[in-house]
Order: sequence, then structure tokens, then C-alpha cells
Amino acid sequence: MEVRGWILTSPYLLYSLVFFAIPLAWSLWLVFTNWNLISTRVDFVGLDNFARAFRSARVHAAFISAYRIMGFFLPMVLVQSLGVALLINSLPWGRAFFSVGFFMPYLASGVAVALVVRGILAYNSPAAPIFKALFGTIPNWFGHPVLAIFIISLLIAWKFSGYYALIFLAGLQSIPKELYEAAELDGARFPTKLFRITLPMLYPAFYTVLIMAVGLCFAIFTEPFMLTGGGPGRATHTWYLEIYYQVFQNLRAGYGAAISFINAAITFASVLIVRRLMQRWGRALGYE
Amino acid sequence: MNRRRSAYTAIKYAAAVTLLLISIFPYLYMVLQSLAPWDQVNKVFIPSRLTLRSYIWLFTGTEALVAKPWLRAFLNSVIVSVSSTTLMVLSAAIIGYALAKLPFRGRPLVYNFILFQMFYPAVILLIPTFLLVKAFGWFNTYWAMIVPKAMSVWAIFMYTSFFKSVPQEIIDSARVDGASEWRIIFGIMIPLSRSITIIVALFLFMARWEELLWDLVVVQDTSMRTLNVLLATIQSSYNPYPGPLYAAATILTLPILIAFLAFSRHFSQGIRLVLGK
Repeated sequence: MEVRGWILTSPYLLYSLVFFAIPLAWSLWLVFTNWNLISTRVDFVGLDNFARAFRSARVHAAFISAYRIMGFFLPMVLVQSLGVALLINSLPWGRAFFSVGFFMPYLASGVAVALVVRGILAYNSPAAPIFKALFGTIPNWFGHPVLAIFIISLLIAWKFSGYYALIFLAGLQSIPKELYEAAELDGARFPTKLFRITLPMLYPAFYTVLIMAVGLCFAIFTEPFMLTGGGPGRATHTWYLEIYYQVFQNLRAGYGAAISFINAAITFASVLIVRRLMQRWGRALGYE
Repeated sequence: MNRRRSAYTAIKYAAAVTLLLISIFPYLYMVLQSLAPWDQVNKVFIPSRLTLRSYIWLFTGTEALVAKPWLRAFLNSVIVSVSSTTLMVLSAAIIGYALAKLPFRGRPLVYNFILFQMFYPAVILLIPTFLLVKAFGWFNTYWAMIVPKAMSVWAIFMYTSFFKSVPQEIIDSARVDGASEWRIIFGIMIPLSRSITIIVALFLFMARWEELLWDLVVVQDTSMRTLNVLLATIQSSYNPYPGPLYAAATILTLPILIAFLAFSRHFSQGIRLVLGK
């Protein structure tokens, strides 16, 4: 058993050595250098990369845009996924069909979706007359900072709402029916049942969804890469765009590695704050 | 009362269908535009007639000034995604079996390391892994796209949790009959875990098929690009040909949709396992 266990797990150990341990050690070295991927000369620059990143307007833009996207994305995706889950759960039949149906957006490649969205939002698209009728003018979607963030957030919310809805749906199905029956006997109506039973009982699902959703906001690449290039200005300039730009366009590997460390630290801290807030809410609800 | 209830139910179905149509609208738009005559692309929602011209243009024809890279890109995507997914599923099943069913002294250590890797921020590894792959001389090759993505800690974790629920007696009696570990894994464990294998393979395949950042940075030659990367990088030079771009997007999207729909029977069971319920 002893030997067999090691033999069967050895591919993983080898893989982790080559594609985890070595890159990790390498990145720990990289962040303290000014290596530019080409030159044979590598200088040890201490904490310069970090100091420069903290001063960089581009990094500031990435820092802010993550929270701006979060501000749009979280409410959108929570309303969409919870709404879809509540709707599916209330249907007498066809739940499996609708679960799969609403999950379909998750399957789309961001590249293909970006192409479609660009087509629909174009100035002369078939949708333009509808926008004109609604808003009186055809909005310059990617020319306005708030609109651009709104569209990017909406796309990500569209993609993930079906996925999160499945998490909420599993949560809804685990709520004991007796709770609702008892509440109905006491004359409770829909809003009371929603706010006093459903939402508190969905706490574990909220917890999972929020942590996933918050972490996601720091790892956005495809949508702004395809649609805005980070603009207008740097309104949709995300962390991953900045890392991609510094390393693979500017070839500044050391600096890019430092930014990826900062990104990881900020993601971790933000998720930790959300966890704390969620746990506080959980304690208020009697979860431990 | 009964009447009101059934009217209420009808409204709920109407709402569900409407919302569903809205949420799959981008797919409908993409497919319709890919089949539209070229003078109608991006001009009407529903084309007056349907044509395969965009598809035919993509893969053949003499209208382009340069040789068209689409067929090659599609094949690249298939080669990379199929080999990567196969390796990830096989390795995960083998390692998951060892971690779930073979008691060996280092097991808790290995298992905890897998958990650690699952929650480790992958972004930190992006740059050094790229440098490593370059140092191996794998830049612009399939190796760069397959080998670093030949193992998935998530898949190992999924198999480990699932295999733990397989009764030990089945394995013990197979051992008594003289079955090798190999036979146990491929003859017993994998057939027992069809739902999880299907759902894990689908998720891994989808992620691999739609990978953008990694495939974008390790490949520079147009002929080595995957379909996803090609579609992402070629758009500006294809401005006069929106129809074929929609056709390429459809070819990129439909295999994943069809695969998920074809296996949707396993979906509700499998997704529970994925979501950890």
C-alpha cells in the first residue's frame, strides 16, 4: 500500500514540482529584479518594483476598477441569480429544463460573447433604433466610463447568474417545507416568508456565491481585453490587463510579477473582509 | 381560487420562458447573424433568408487575400483541448483513487497540499510558468498549451471526494480476485463514477477550449493559435467580414453547448457534486 500510494500519486508530485514549486520560487526571485525577458543582465532592485507599482497611476486604475466593477456586478448577479432560482423553484414541473437553460450563458466563450455584444451595441446595429427610442439617443457605450463598466459588469453577471442560480436553487431545495407551512398558518404572506425564512435559510448559498463573486472581480481579463482595451481613460483597466500589458507587451517580467503579488494580496484581503462580514451576518442568524 | 392559482402558474411560466429567451439571446443573435446574407449582417435581427456563405467562406474560397487560418485553428483547439482534458481526467482518477482508497503515510500531506493549491492565487504562477515553458523551448508549440494544463487539482479533489463514498468492500473483493490497482481504477472506479466523470470532463474541456490568456501568451504564430485566441486577435483585420466572424464564434460556441445539452441527463446529479451539495 505504502509504495503503491506513492507511485500512483507520483505524477502529481512531479507536476507540482515543475509547475508549482519551481514557478513559485522563480516568482519570489523575479519580484526583486528588473528583468525584461530579453537582456542577459539582471539587476537585483530590492523592493523597487513594489514601490513603483504603488505609485503607478495604471495600478491605481486597476485597483479602483475592480471595486467599481464589483459595485455593479454584485447587485446585478445577486438579483439575477436569486430571482432565477426563486422562479425555477416555484415551478411545478420543468425545473431541470430551466436549470440547464439558464446555465447556458456560463458555457459561452467570452471572446464569442464580446463579438456579439460589440455587434449589438454598434452605432448602426439593428438594436440601435431600440436604444434611440428608449434613451432618445444612441449611447456611446464604450466611450463613457460608467457605461463601459456597466456593460462589462452586465456581461460577467449574465455569464455567472445561471451558475450562481444553481447554488441558490440547491439551497432553496434544502429548506424544510414545514417552515413555510407553519408560517402560512400564522398568516404570513410572500414578503414575510421571503425575508424571514427564505433569505436567512439561504445564508450558506449567499456565503459561497459572494466569496466566489468577489474573488472574480480581481481576475477579469477577457471582457475588457476584447471590448474596451481598458478604456475609456482607464475606467475598465483591470488587474489582469495591467499584468498582461506589463509582462507581455512591455516585457517587464519582474515588475509584472510584483503586480501579480499585489493583486493576490488585495484579492485575499478583500475576500477576507467579505468573509468576516458574512460571518457576522451568519452569527446574527444563528449560524456558527 | 383554483383558477387564480393556474393563472398565476401560467404567468410564472411566461416569465421563465421570457427570461430564458433574454438570457440565450446572444446565442440566437450569433447563430442568426452567421447564417445571414452578407448585406444583412449586423443590420437586422432576423435575416430574410438563410445562407451558409459565411461558413463556406471561412474554410474555403478565394475571396481572402491570405490563406485562411480557421480550419487549422479549429484543429489546434481540438488537439489541445482533447489531449489536455484526457490527461486531466485520467490523472485525476488515478490520483483521486490513491488519495481516497490507498492508505499510505504521506497521504494527508499530499491531500492538504492539493487543497492548498486549489486556493492558491494562480496569477502569481502565470509569469514564471511562461518563462519555464519558454526555457523548455516550448514557445509556439502544442506542448506549451498541453503539458502545464495536463493536471487539475480541482479534478483530483472531485474524484477524491467521490471515490471516498465508494464502499471499501467492492475494492477488497476485487483484490481477493487478484485484480491489479489498474484494473480496480479502470474496471471498477471509473465505471462507477460516470456522472462525475462526465461533468468533470465537460467542465475541464470547456475551460480548456475557452482559455484565452495562457494560449495567447505562449503562442505567437497564427498557425498555432487556438480558435478562441484567433477569434480574439483577428477581429480588427476582419472588419469587412462580420458574417464569417459570427460563423467562427458559432463554431467556437456550439460544440460546448451541444456537449452540455447532450449530457444534461447527468447534469443535475453531477452539478450537485460540483457544487459540493
